Amino acid sequence: MKTAATATIRDRVERIEHTPAIPAVFLPLLKILNAPPETTNLEEVIKLVSYDNTIAAQCLRMASSPLFGLSKVPESIRVAVVSLGLRRVQTILLTCCLGQAFPTRNWAIDPIVYWRHSLGCAMVCRKFAEKFSHADGDKAYMAGLMHDIGILVNCLAFSTEFARALNRATSEQMPLDDAELALMGFTHCDTGRALAQKWHLGDDLIEVIAYHHNVERCKTAKPLVALVHLGDLLCRVRGMGHGYYERRRVDLVDDPAWKILLEEHKELESVDLVRFTFELDDAVTEIYELVSMIIGPGSALQSQGSRKSKY
Amino acid sequence: MTSGAQPALSRTGTMKAIEPIDPVFRQIRDLVYKVSGIFQLEEKLYLLVDGCGRRMKQLGVRTPREYWELLTAHSSRDAELRQLLNELTIGETCLFRSQPQLDALRKVIIPEIAAEKLKLVTKRLRIWSAGCSTGEEPYTLAMNMLEEQESRLQGWSVEILATDLNDRSIEAAKTGIYGDYALRATPELFKRKYFVPCDAKKLQVRPEVKKLITFTRLNLQDDSKMLFMKGMDLIFCCNVLIYFDGPSKSRVIDHFFSNLNFGGYFFLGTSESLMKLNDKFHVVHFPGAIGYWKPSLKSGKL
Repeated sequence: MKTAATATIRDRVERIEHTPAIPAVFLPLLKILNAPPETTNLEEVIKLVSYDNTIAAQCLRMASSPLFGLSKVPESIRVAVVSLGLRRVQTILLTCCLGQAFPTRNWAIDPIVYWRHSLGCAMVCRKFAEKFSHADGDKAYMAGLMHDIGILVNCLAFSTEFARALNRATSEQMPLDDAELALMGFTHCDTGRALAQKWHLGDDLIEVIAYHHNVERCKTAKPLVALVHLGDLLCRVRGMGHGYYERRRVDLVDDPAWKILLEEHKELESVDLVRFTFELDDAVTEIYELVSMIIGPGSALQSQGSRKSKY
Repeated sequence: MTSGAQPALSRTGTMKAIEPIDPVFRQIRDLVYKVSGIFQLEEKLYLLVDGCGRRMKQLGVRTPREYWELLTAHSSRDAELRQLLNELTIGETCLFRSQPQLDALRKVIIPEIAAEKLKLVTKRLRIWSAGCSTGEEPYTLAMNMLEEQESRLQGWSVEILATDLNDRSIEAAKTGIYGDYALRATPELFKRKYFVPCDAKKLQVRPEVKKLITFTRLNLQDDSKMLFMKGMDLIFCCNVLIYFDGPSKSRVIDHFFSNLNFGGYFFLGTSESLMKLNDKFHVVHFPGAIGYWKPSLKSGKL
């Protein structure tokens, strides 16, 4: 990527932060989430969330979805934390905040498609991580959820150029990042990294966002980036992609990311990939329902209806 | 019905209340997967519940737990599992059963094979429908390949071999006559182009479709015959291996692997898995479809 492009990305990302839609609790919450888990203060989280009733309410409803496991809506954030643990509740809060953080008007990509992909990837990453004995499922979830924030940056800061790239990807049935590179000279990984750095998301998340299409280039968080790379691919072939048919064949086991992950987690060897895929299919309906909930009433989506995308 | 229960459509089309599913059915789901490789999705678990229900009624068994005992008791398990599998796959057969599989074939695999064979003098594509039942699968493949012969496969010869153990199925398949139910997923365009009306309610495939296919009886467990089925580019075997025990299944899959050309593909039914029975095939994903790939020599993966 050329230096001029880097400067343009930086300038435009700078302007995104002035978007009025970002909930006041979002950035402070992100800061808490990035701190080591043992230093997190429950009272601080509860206080922050109580500033925003919408987010608190969404969080409670989401906690009771099959994806997060509670059989009924908890009475309060405190009850949710007691039942699910602080970190799990934090990931739910983050999901709700992100859903509200960006105005969804005039996106080049259908916001429903975007959120299905992000939430789908979050779920796949967590399910994968749960197969390993030493892996942080909640961190994997966050990484999956945020890996494509560069697409949001593109929608907001490079809307015309990105719309062209998405059109090309759709008509040629090619990977989105290839189309971005061909038409824009950079990808959502570059723009996402700029926003992640601006938000001080922490080195691991920054690497996930910057290198999930180029795992071998990443330096420190290779297993996590590899996990997100595989989760992203799997979502794209099981109905939670970028909203169009990608004319491709995906050989996950032959992917360099698989080998990187295998070095870290030997348990990967015994994963029945086909069964894992079927189990993922089981969760697709839940993801679709969660997305309508996160995006919530009153957004631009209402006028678009809930378009179901096959891919 | 409990308050707040949602109505759902069962396979028979009747409205039913969703009641909490007895955990035994999930145990049965896992057992069915372990034995046959068929995975029943959560949202389709009612098919398994319905199927078990029909078997329980026939057997006079009152509770799912009692039925579980039958499915696991040494004396009855094999026969009963077979009966249950029949219930689970009954009525599944139709033309154009899996559009994502056909998309994978036409959008990804055919272009790949066409490029691979570009320099060969004789351009030939060989497809095997193993366990073709009453012919729905081979005819679907034949019609799609006729479409390809108008574009990417112009000048190619396409041969489809369709085999089944059952003589009566083969005879029915040869007639190529289908009613509404078997044709429910067939696009209108294909109905108009490749079928002629047979009687008021049925359509028959045109002779040019039949010409691509050779129907013959074959037992997949007949090792000596399996050795001769060489040179396949694609093998489809849907809901057949589910009835085989582990060692027989492994042997058939090994045969399929050697029957395929390098770079060829093997497909199972959409909710079926090889369950890691063979580590030479690569599991490959296409949008909405899973296939098994025999690495090409060029790929250096063998």
